[in-house]
Amino acid sequence: MKHHVYLILLMASGVLYAADTPQSMMERYATEAKAEQSDFQGFSAERGEVFFKSTHGGDWSCASCHTSVPTQSGEHAGTGKTIKPLAPSVNSERFTRLKKTEKWFKRNCNDVLDRPCTAVEKGDVMTYLLSL
Amino acid sequence: MNRILIWDIPTRVFHWLLAVSFVGAYLTAETEKFRNLHLALGYTMLGLIVFRIFWGFAGTRYARFSSFRFGIGDVKTYLQSLLSSPKHYLGHNPAGALAIFALMSLAVLTPLVGIALYFEVGGYSLEELWEESHEMLGNAMLLVVLGHLAGVVVSSVIHKENLVGSMINGHKQGPAELGISRAYPLIGMILVLAVLGFWWVYLR
Ligand code: HEC
Ligand code: HEM
Ligand code: HEM
Repeated sequence: MKHHVYLILLMASGVLYAADTPQSMMERYATEAKAEQSDFQGFSAERGEVFFKSTHGGDWSCASCHTSVPTQSGEHAGTGKTIKPLAPSVNSERFTRLKKTEKWFKRNCNDVLDRPCTAVEKGDVMTYLLSL
Repeated sequence: MNRILIWDIPTRVFHWLLAVSFVGAYLTAETEKFRNLHLALGYTMLGLIVFRIFWGFAGTRYARFSSFRFGIGDVKTYLQSLLSSPKHYLGHNPAGALAIFALMSLAVLTPLVGIALYFEVGGYSLEELWEESHEMLGNAMLLVVLGHLAGVVVSSVIHKENLVGSMINGHKQGPAELGISRAYPLIGMILVLAVLGFWWVYLR
């Protein structure tokens, strides 16, 4: 009996985890973007691509670790470790856990831009990655 | 009372290298810029503990685990004694020893889970578990370190001795026959060189 309860809890938590999708994250960023910019016109894959490939005045761009072809595996610019592709079309694990996505946006934006990304920037990058 | 040697050199070298590695690993955790340094310091902690376990059996009197393996009853008695007539220990006191064993365990567990995280043991399904527990262990260790520092200050005041100074120069005041006779500088030097050599190779 006890085991059944655990099993059900485990399955329930699995369902809760699976709740995040790239689409649900995009909706979230869109809501935040509207609060950020009153004249928000929607996300742009082109803006996302430019953002992704530029160094913003520092040493690194997003492409330094995720390559400028994000359907391919990247290589960490500091440790050399292989990083799985960022594009969800080739890596279905991407953007399936909001907490993870948010953590890495926060960390990597600080690494590259020395500041957190705005919701518009995150949405643009995701739009670009989802277009690949 | 004489000025006697309590902490041999390997124990002191171990201590300060562990402290520096912990602080460094903690400060480099949240950025990819210093990921390599974070990993190197984590591995260093693991290596230092391996050495310390060996030294806990082979080392000098006060460095041996047997000299500070106290029960929970000893901790209680010691803490109660602080309120009336503080019981003095030349080596680690029972409360300090408790923190020390906690610190040594955390200095093994945190890097081990960090390694599982880094090498993606168990794939995507275990990733979150490793992430969360690695972070939790790191923060738990920070808490114990803060408790350790508070304990060092409090017992230095209560026993009117400079414990930090002892961890640096190895000496305390005590009866001559209770001091250790050898400091083992060569082993301490080998430990320093091994760590510097590892950093040089890993971070080059
Ligand atoms: C120094 C290397 C590095 C740089 C530069 C970098 N990243 Fe990352 N990024 C990583 C690593 C490492 C991971 C986590 C490993 C993994 O999930 O495969 C990651 C993960 C991510 C994720 C997680 C996606 C998910 O939910 O699985 C996103 C989003 C991301 N990065 C976006 C960016 C953006 C945007 C930039 C540029 C501002 C950037 N990264 C720059 C190393 C980097
Ligand atoms: C005792 C030494 C260590 C401490 C105190 C420590 C602490 C931390 C902390 C607090 C984080 C941030 C966690 C987060 O934001 O998710 C972190 C991240 C990380 N640590 Fe450690 N760590 C140590 C050793 C190691 C070791 C030995 C490795 C691997 C060999 C390692 C690998 C990592 C990695 C890869 C991350 C970032 C990944 C992620 O956050 O998902 N750590 N560490
Ligand atoms: C920052 C991380 C630190 C860690 C992980 C740490 C860990 C330890 C450990 C494991 C011991 C036992 C030593 C042994 O027997 O081998 C110890 C003892 C000691 N530490 Fe630390 N330490 C840290 C920082 C500090 C600092 C900053 C100070 C001083 C300001 C300090 C002062 C002492 C003293 C005085 C002792 C001896 C305690 C006694 O007399 O029983 N420590 N520490």
